[in-house]
Amino acid sequence: MNTKNNKNVTFLDKLITWIKTSDLAKPIIPVIGLYIIASLLAPQYFLSPYNQKIILMQVTPLLAIATGEMLIILMGSIDLTPGSSQGVTAMLAALVYITTGNFGLAILSAILLGMLIGSINGILVTKLKIFSFVATLAGLVIWRAVDLWISGGRLIYGLKPFGIFSEAIGVVPIGFIIMVLINIAVYLLLKHTAYGRYVYAIGGNEEAVRMAGVRVDLIKFISFMLAGLMYGIGGVMIIGMSGLAVDPWTAYGYELNAIATCVLGGILLIGGAGHPLGVIFGAFLLTLLMNLLVLLGLTQASIQQIVTGFVLIAAATTLARGLKYVK
Amino acid sequence: MANRNGVLVLAKDIVKKFPGVVALKNVTFDIRKGEIHGLLGQNGAGKSTLVKVIYGIHKPDSGKIYVKGKEVRFNGPSDARRHGIVLVNQEITVVPNLTVMENVFLLGKMWKEKVFRKIDYEELREKTYKIISALGIDIEPSTKVKDLRAAEKMIVQISAALTMDAEIILLDEPTSPLPPEEVEKLFSVMRQLRDKGLGIVFITHRVKEALEICDRITVLRNGVKLGTLEGDDMNENKLVQLMLGVNPNEFYKVRSEATIRRPLLTEKPLLEIKNLSTTPLSSTDIPLKNINLRVYPTEIHAVVGLVGAGKSELGKTLIGLQPVTSGEIIIKGKKVNIKSPVDALKYGIYYLPEDRKTEGLIPNLHVIGNKTISSLKYFTKLLLINSKKEYDVAMQLAKKLNIVMPSPYEKVIKLSGGNQQKVLIARGLLAKPEILILDEPTVGIDIGAKVEIRKAIYELAHKEKITILLLTSDPDEALGLADTISVMRNGEIVANFINENLSREEVIKAMTG
Repeated sequence: MNTKNNKNVTFLDKLITWIKTSDLAKPIIPVIGLYIIASLLAPQYFLSPYNQKIILMQVTPLLAIATGEMLIILMGSIDLTPGSSQGVTAMLAALVYITTGNFGLAILSAILLGMLIGSINGILVTKLKIFSFVATLAGLVIWRAVDLWISGGRLIYGLKPFGIFSEAIGVVPIGFIIMVLINIAVYLLLKHTAYGRYVYAIGGNEEAVRMAGVRVDLIKFISFMLAGLMYGIGGVMIIGMSGLAVDPWTAYGYELNAIATCVLGGILLIGGAGHPLGVIFGAFLLTLLMNLLVLLGLTQASIQQIVTGFVLIAAATTLARGLKYVK
Repeated sequence: MANRNGVLVLAKDIVKKFPGVVALKNVTFDIRKGEIHGLLGQNGAGKSTLVKVIYGIHKPDSGKIYVKGKEVRFNGPSDARRHGIVLVNQEITVVPNLTVMENVFLLGKMWKEKVFRKIDYEELREKTYKIISALGIDIEPSTKVKDLRAAEKMIVQISAALTMDAEIILLDEPTSPLPPEEVEKLFSVMRQLRDKGLGIVFITHRVKEALEICDRITVLRNGVKLGTLEGDDMNENKLVQLMLGVNPNEFYKVRSEATIRRPLLTEKPLLEIKNLSTTPLSSTDIPLKNINLRVYPTEIHAVVGLVGAGKSELGKTLIGLQPVTSGEIIIKGKKVNIKSPVDALKYGIYYLPEDRKTEGLIPNLHVIGNKTISSLKYFTKLLLINSKKEYDVAMQLAKKLNIVMPSPYEKVIKLSGGNQQKVLIARGLLAKPEILILDEPTVGIDIGAKVEIRKAIYELAHKEKITILLLTSDPDEALGLADTISVMRNGEIVANFINENLSREEVIKAMTG
């Protein structure tokens, strides 16, 4: 009996240390909390397979753009193009599919366009030395305009093959499985490659990393390009998850969701800290919150946004503890 | 003003500790009415720490502060200001795009009276003009501060202090950003203030300036007060001796004369600098003038000079961070064009900066990552970092350099200053340079770690055959370590010595000119 008790204590101790020290604990605990609350509030409704699948379908495209944004925020920069990029790449994929009927080519074109957008951001920041906020603010406006221009303002529908991503194994959509695999790859990239080490180090002290003889500009360029790639994937996913149709306002304003997801996922906005898998839980947090509000009958967009805002402040406060000051 | 010896501030037995180093050891310091009190010492002597304790930025670990005989406890600078104490910073802290009067208004206390009232610019202009002209200086209050000269910017800060009815003004290295011709202007203002009965503390590392203007001079070294001199006691020789130490501590000497490496006449230098001149990017950097230097393979070549001699600028020029206007850098007989630290590393040159915090450490990254940031390519296979190899090498070096850390995965910021410096030396080593440039590697570190680091530097050159360019302001560090010593002053190399039967006085004489 005694030994058993001891074992329990050590496990609990370990758990507590993990919660206190791990970058991942901060976003995981509120996700578990929200699941419990939602289950208690509306067990039949919230826990229904249908609702669970909806949640995963909403998480997927959000997770794609948040993962890209994370690469930028970890370096202490910011990218405001995820929303417009997701929109314009989705539109391009839709148009390519409608014109050629080639599903593979449609996906490829979206991803390549995403990488092009990211590369341009990277060049603006590293070569022309424009602050990432300003450079990507310009991109936000321009790429939405391109979206409107190539679509002629039309709604594009009849994109049946994209439905493959929302086909589910049990309640888990294939698109979500793909995204989790991608996130594991990004995790390996950030935590086990030299590139990843540089990304964290640049966010920690860029001046020192430059002095250390690292090609900082190259690393930054790669990050922006990879982020663009993720936005392209996000563009493909959003077609699959939201009714197999795209209009030029798809993903409008989603850059804020991407940034919020990073913050909720424990990625420090000044750069250099946060667990790469944190965004998965950040995406769940934001999505569950919306789901919970719907369950509570609060469907007005304004209320949802107010709640999101407050949650963001709460999350950011826990992250900012110990900092002297921020800007 | 009747009692000219009236003590305004007395800081008694002040002890201030920072992680891994005692910055002030039982320092007692007083400021009298109507005097300019010089605070002299090298980098890391504790001068700034002492005034920051008096100004309430740092809380002393022990010791007491009295203002006009009454004990005080400051919780921050605003408490000190309330007692008439104002610190004017080393870095010029004015808002360049605002006018002189707006700066005086912002930095002074005027704004407190009328946060939400409309600013009466006429009145503000008049008040500002009155204060500045009373100092014997002519500056139009509506000039933008960015159009002022460096000394005038300093005077704007002092004027702001005067609006707060300051009685004690602490000037932290006010002359270091000033060109020589502007120093006199600042001095005339300081004299004016003294004659009005204010107590002025003038921090400097320049002996001549201290002698020119101070009524008394206190000398600090390694956090210890070595004495306060006044009257006839104040002479250059004595001050220099106190500041740099009378006898080199045997502790510091890590090698014997027998091992001096004398370059042979026929030998080719590894690095040769010919007639190198630079134009600095920022006004606080020293331009290099016609530098000639030869560094031979596996020697320790010290470039010694006081703060502001241009040593860091020389180091940064060699890694492409300062634009070269004329002259050549030659490595192994080949002229090279180094544009960035990446280029420098290609030619085998690696520089470890003096400013560990802003240019060296990546604070939130773990100790291992801080060591390997410049050498990851040696640990990477097919993109992936071989963490076991990385860990093993990092631990090996930790043992060799005696790095004390709770865990190799601890954030580097949690280590003491000495251990942080050792982490950076490990970083430099792992980059496998042929020439390692160490910029003030032992400044701000306690004595034990200093000796360890010097021993490590000695072994690098003599066992690992790495050529060391040691930039230092400590003549004993140079004398205790180097094979060759070049002395720098005002951006120029003024003397070259082989470190054999070389007297300390000779080096110090060349340093101070």
